[in-house]
Amino acid sequence: MAEEKVDVLIIGSGHSGGMAAKILTEKGIRCLMLNAGPIADVHKDTEPRAAYELPFRGFKDPEKLPHVFQANEFNVNTWVDEKEVPYTYDTGKPYNWVRVRLFGGRSLFWSRQSFRMSDYELKGKSHDGYGDDWPISHADIAPYYSRVEAIFRVKGRPEGLPQYPDGNFIVDDAPWSGCMQRWVDAGKKIGVPVTKQRSSEGVDGLASSVNLLLPDAFATGKLDAIPNVVVREIRADKNTGLANEVFFVDRLSGREMSVKARVIVLAAGTLESTRLLLNSKIANSSGVLGHYLSDQIYGAGIVCSVPEARDGKAKPGLMGGSALIPRFRNIKTREKNFLRGYALNCWSSTGPMDPRNFAAYGAELQQKLDSYHGSGFGVGLMGEVLSRYENKVSIDPNTVDAWGIPALHIDTKYTDNEYNMAKDAVDTASEMAHDAGFEVLSQNPIPNPPGYSIHELGTARMGDDAKTSVLNKWNQSHDLKNLFVVDASCFVSAAWQNPTMTILALSMRASEHLAEQMRQGNV
Amino acid sequence: MQRRDFVKAMMAASVSARAMLGQQPSTTPVAPSTLPPTATTAPGPLPWMRGLMEVKPLQVRQISPDAIAETQTQFFSETQMGSLRHLCSVMMPALNGQPGAKEAETPEFLDFLISVSPEDRQQLYRSGLDRLESEARKQFSKSFAEVSDAQAGEILKPWLRTWMSDHPPTEPFADFVNIANGDIRTATINSQAWADATKKAGHNTPDQGLYWYPVDPDLRREGACERKSS
Repeated sequence: MAEEKVDVLIIGSGHSGGMAAKILTEKGIRCLMLNAGPIADVHKDTEPRAAYELPFRGFKDPEKLPHVFQANEFNVNTWVDEKEVPYTYDTGKPYNWVRVRLFGGRSLFWSRQSFRMSDYELKGKSHDGYGDDWPISHADIAPYYSRVEAIFRVKGRPEGLPQYPDGNFIVDDAPWSGCMQRWVDAGKKIGVPVTKQRSSEGVDGLASSVNLLLPDAFATGKLDAIPNVVVREIRADKNTGLANEVFFVDRLSGREMSVKARVIVLAAGTLESTRLLLNSKIANSSGVLGHYLSDQIYGAGIVCSVPEARDGKAKPGLMGGSALIPRFRNIKTREKNFLRGYALNCWSSTGPMDPRNFAAYGAELQQKLDSYHGSGFGVGLMGEVLSRYENKVSIDPNTVDAWGIPALHIDTKYTDNEYNMAKDAVDTASEMAHDAGFEVLSQNPIPNPPGYSIHELGTARMGDDAKTSVLNKWNQSHDLKNLFVVDASCFVSAAWQNPTMTILALSMRASEHLAEQMRQGNV
Repeated sequence: MQRRDFVKAMMAASVSARAMLGQQPSTTPVAPSTLPPTATTAPGPLPWMRGLMEVKPLQVRQISPDAIAETQTQFFSETQMGSLRHLCSVMMPALNGQPGAKEAETPEFLDFLISVSPEDRQQLYRSGLDRLESEARKQFSKSFAEVSDAQAGEILKPWLRTWMSDHPPTEPFADFVNIANGDIRTATINSQAWADATKKAGHNTPDQGLYWYPVDPDLRREGACERKSS
């Protein structure tokens, strides 16, 4: 049995690995999937609890997951333990690496925002001279975006904006709520487009690898999976120059094992994929592996209140709903103090207000909370972080994880471009809020630390030149023809868009290319 | 549900205990092809786990310790604790039939929470409570624990800020005042006393959430692996 060679070994089970498994198995190719964590079963693994029943009254163990702002005491066990799989950074340059190793990875928990990238991002250098163009354009990805949008059941509205390409949508033609209409009108006055959100409806409320991709792959009978194994190294055959064996450790017993494969598809999530390549000392003849780490700035924004909705006086249809302001900066004009652009998430709340929005305590605070209940309007930033060579990851020679695998050192920081962009976003949102007649309660122009958006991108960028990129335009290693990296490590630039649809479309595209190459006997 | 898991865990423990006993080296050398002897029972006349599957579920009247026990404070000094207790009473008094921070034993819980928090958070609280004390002495010539609500307001209100997401105020004392305001409120609302009062008033418990148990290790799953034949 151990002598049997696997056709394609897929490392990782999230959106990118799940898509690779679906496409390849449906083409009749036998795949083996390795996943670093266990299979979660919400029926067995969860129970409704009151906060007071938990050891820390809902505060979460303060020693656990200091870099996962998204963690709370209810969900603390779903994230990768920072002590089990550590990473390092230099003092003053914090990075929030937010990871899930459950089967299905981070596709289990995501905000479902489903955007296409436009050529303003894919061909950014051609537009503004900064950075590098991707080796592909929107036209190359468009057919795959359409198929992904069908699988994920993306709800949206065609807007006809070149920077916000329309797609294969379940059409959202619901009217705006009253406060959103005021927001739309305020945007119009200053040339800011307010559009419908685009979001994956999925099936039965879930839009994940585990319900939309992997079931199809398993149904072919061509996919086997091994959970709870952590890949340590991919080894290349010196004679053939091909990757041919993967070494992994059983995470529970510590037993060391290996498996041979004809093709390896790496889909461990951006930084885990790059960490594995760096630890394996392969696929880096260009020297750029680990470089150009980027993401999106999150955490800046404003919180407002709609005065007409206070004290329970909101008329039906005034509150509720959400909207998106897609990138509008640096499209036709050029900003003085930042390149590229940002989007704004806009939402109206009919529920309680966060007490932080009031400089009060005690009875006065309670009175404010009662009065402002159901009147909330929030705006949050998603902005492109420029792709820079000096923002990089490397192997930390002094730190290993629970299985002795060398850890990652992350060296990245934001610069004035990001800070200026965040300030512009908060100023613009505040101006619109005043114009719409909203009361601005809180403002924050400072982004959260890098990594917080859970959109780590780049570090194994694609490109036509093997001297300046790790992968070709098919997500295939320039150095090892039978190694494909199908997650977001291939990104050349970050864009403002939530990357999920692009990850899925590129993994689908790469996997179809791989299947065809295998059929022709080229791989 | 809990009991079933308990029994399952006991069964799993029993299996692994047996397996471990089975792996103990025998005193008599055995040929490699011979399986080592398997001990099916622990020393003694009876199997360790006999009867557990047959026993009727024990109805445990389980209560949380907060329902009856007092938290022993140990982290803050006596003066700091006095300031924290008074700060809690000022910031979160009993209102509208709901308990205040004092009834929810929030000061004692925060003493515990901060004692297990990272050093920068400990320092924030210690220096913040010390500052409250020194301000009260300076402005009113008495301990913060003894100032009136109005006097406490004179000390606290200039430092109140609005803030959002993960960005509390950056000036140290404002940071403390606003973080403590939030922590005191959360610890009180998440308390059993608050939940009991809510229930008594006929409302749903507001702090219910879906708690995830550790998913790992994963050994309790049945039929997870299929051996592949070549």
